[in-house]
Amino acid sequence: MSNLNIDAEKAHTFDAIVIGSGISGGWAAKEFTEKGLKTLVLERGRDVQHIKDYPTTNKYTYEFEHHGEPALAIRKENPIASRCYIFREDAMHFVVKDQEHPYVQEKPFDWIRGYQVGGKSLLWARQVQRWSDLDFEGPARDDFAVDWPIRYKDIAPWYSYVEKFAGISGNKDGLPQLPDGEFLPGYPLNAVEDYFKKVMTNKYGNRHVISARCAHISKPNQIHLDQGRGQCQNRTLCQRGCPFGGYFSSNASTLPWAAKTGNLTLRPFSVVESVIYDDKKGKVTGVRVIDTNTKEVTEYFAKVIFVNAAALNTNLILLNSKSQRFPQGLGNDNGQLGKFVAFHNYSARISAEYDGMLEYTTDGRNPAGGGYLPRFRNVFKQETNFKRGYAAGFSARRMSNKDMSGVGEGLKTNLMKTDLGPWSVGSHMMGETIPKESNFVNLDPNKKDAWGVPQLNISVDYDENDVLMKKDYLEQLTEMFTEAGFTNIKQNDASQAPGLDIHEMGGARMGHDPKTSILNKWNQLHACKNVFVTDGACMTSTSTQNPSLTYMALTARAVDYAVKAMKNGELT
Amino acid sequence: MERRLVIKQILIMAGGMALLPSCLRDAGKSSVLLKNLDVSLDQENLLAEIAETIIPKTSTPGAKELNIHLFVLKMVDDCYEPEEQQLFIKGLEALKAITQDQYRKSFMDIAVPERQKVLVGIENDKEASAELAAFYKIMKGKTIQGYLNSQYVMTNLIKWELVPGRYNGYYPVKTA
Repeated sequence: MSNLNIDAEKAHTFDAIVIGSGISGGWAAKEFTEKGLKTLVLERGRDVQHIKDYPTTNKYTYEFEHHGEPALAIRKENPIASRCYIFREDAMHFVVKDQEHPYVQEKPFDWIRGYQVGGKSLLWARQVQRWSDLDFEGPARDDFAVDWPIRYKDIAPWYSYVEKFAGISGNKDGLPQLPDGEFLPGYPLNAVEDYFKKVMTNKYGNRHVISARCAHISKPNQIHLDQGRGQCQNRTLCQRGCPFGGYFSSNASTLPWAAKTGNLTLRPFSVVESVIYDDKKGKVTGVRVIDTNTKEVTEYFAKVIFVNAAALNTNLILLNSKSQRFPQGLGNDNGQLGKFVAFHNYSARISAEYDGMLEYTTDGRNPAGGGYLPRFRNVFKQETNFKRGYAAGFSARRMSNKDMSGVGEGLKTNLMKTDLGPWSVGSHMMGETIPKESNFVNLDPNKKDAWGVPQLNISVDYDENDVLMKKDYLEQLTEMFTEAGFTNIKQNDASQAPGLDIHEMGGARMGHDPKTSILNKWNQLHACKNVFVTDGACMTSTSTQNPSLTYMALTARAVDYAVKAMKNGELT
Repeated sequence: MERRLVIKQILIMAGGMALLPSCLRDAGKSSVLLKNLDVSLDQENLLAEIAETIIPKTSTPGAKELNIHLFVLKMVDDCYEPEEQQLFIKGLEALKAITQDQYRKSFMDIAVPERQKVLVGIENDKEASAELAAFYKIMKGKTIQGYLNSQYVMTNLIKWELVPGRYNGYYPVKTA
């Protein structure tokens, strides 16, 4: 009997456990398994295998029941998910339905989630930019949050490391605020994006328009072919999953790579209820898992645990991991776990038309989406009445201008005309928000989900700084568009609840001081050294870059550290 | 005997997912399975003629042949609020009434030029009733959408590429 127990425990024991299979969990899995560690990856959702489980990937519009539009009944059942641009007939099967996974909104928060193997890495917008010291030094310079415990030199080699494998297209732009990386050829700006770039450079000097850097294989290297991935075919149907592996996802890249080592065990349908802290041993020994189908509770054990459940769910798991030693949640000696949550402010857009460059249009499709304006406000010193700044997307395209008046043969002829209208140009803001103690998540004391896990209560809102920054974005972009001779400029106050940006970050921030932060410079819990957090929960501040690339780099760096620490006996 | 029954059942089940041949259904009912709308076969046939008037058969198929009216019904049934669905049905009836008023004949019985006049009349009537305006807007908008997104158009006329494999940001515009 006791032998059976020992055997069972052995079968449930791994060298490392990774909670979550999204963009950061996938990287943890790849790094651990490549370094020879038997690794268990736990995913709360179903399995999604590359290509095989992309049911809509080759469908034409007319093959969708409502040509892509979600039916009214589905929209009514899913008011939160419906607000996300991804939630259409071609990809809604990758988005969490509201009622299946409820949470409490102390303040409105559109929490968009992807519960399946690969998580949101199947759905992401694939924009990738490095941070610079202008970002890492932000909190210290501008007196908010806490100082980041790392600087650019600490992460730069790891950016290079993950970029080479993931496949990042971009140009070497030589900008201090957006360090260059290991790039595959960039996707070119089109005629009007290029024109706008020139106008901005001439007028302002410090406002740059660059080709958006994206996680697409514009030209494969051997390392990408070795993953079974090929060149991006410019389909821009990425949210359906890409049969070419043209963009980076856990499903196309890190997870199959990890599986090939023979060291990976992937367990879908596995909700992690908590991380197990053994008060006698004084360390974490494993995790408690609920099978989502059978509701059976199982424990798995490992020397080291990586929590990569996506920012807010990582907070939830840690908060729910209570022990004698950690009555307020794992690693939460200072009561700060779940606090200082921040996000990106996407709540303004602007559009216009341009009547120049009419001798050109575009042909094919640009997976990068167009241009990117790195932050130009308060970059080197404080210049405005708000802290920090914003990056912006910028893109231009021409649509055919169809006369849809009348009926009959005349209308039919007009519908077939492909005469092009003027260029349509547009931009959206991506603003840094300031982490505050008053923006937090915690566990609802009463409400539980279908598996008996406490529901997450979210209390996150914009503040005065966000309002001022948004006003500035609209003013500045209007001025810049006017300068470029764009007409019919329309400011769009695209007010939306936090969360819809899908860039929620923080709650278990990194810092030097255990009194004011949860994680140290290695993404390791200050108070419990064999637990690491390398997803969005670790972010001390948000800056303006799309965050996934930084999560990848931090993850690879943290695994490297953890494995070395295990080998030299620091982690046992 | 039993085999026939099974075949019929299979056909009925298939009809729940796609379009059921009208011969197997209640003769007076629409040939598409609708969840919310109550549409008769007469109304469906009328919608087919309206769609065909909007986008007629020429050297290429028109809306009726491409079953665009069934797409319109599907969209109204699944994607619109109940109030809009009501307006759509009432508007269709209002169209019947004004046609009868103007021509003393039903829409089905008037010639194409008259049919066009009825529709353009609604399009240009700034004082059209709410239901007539709503019906026309939905009917025309969804007919155009259904047509432009139809397999026929997307694969024969304005070809949409599933796999472009290229991007050129300075593509010269062909001048006629």
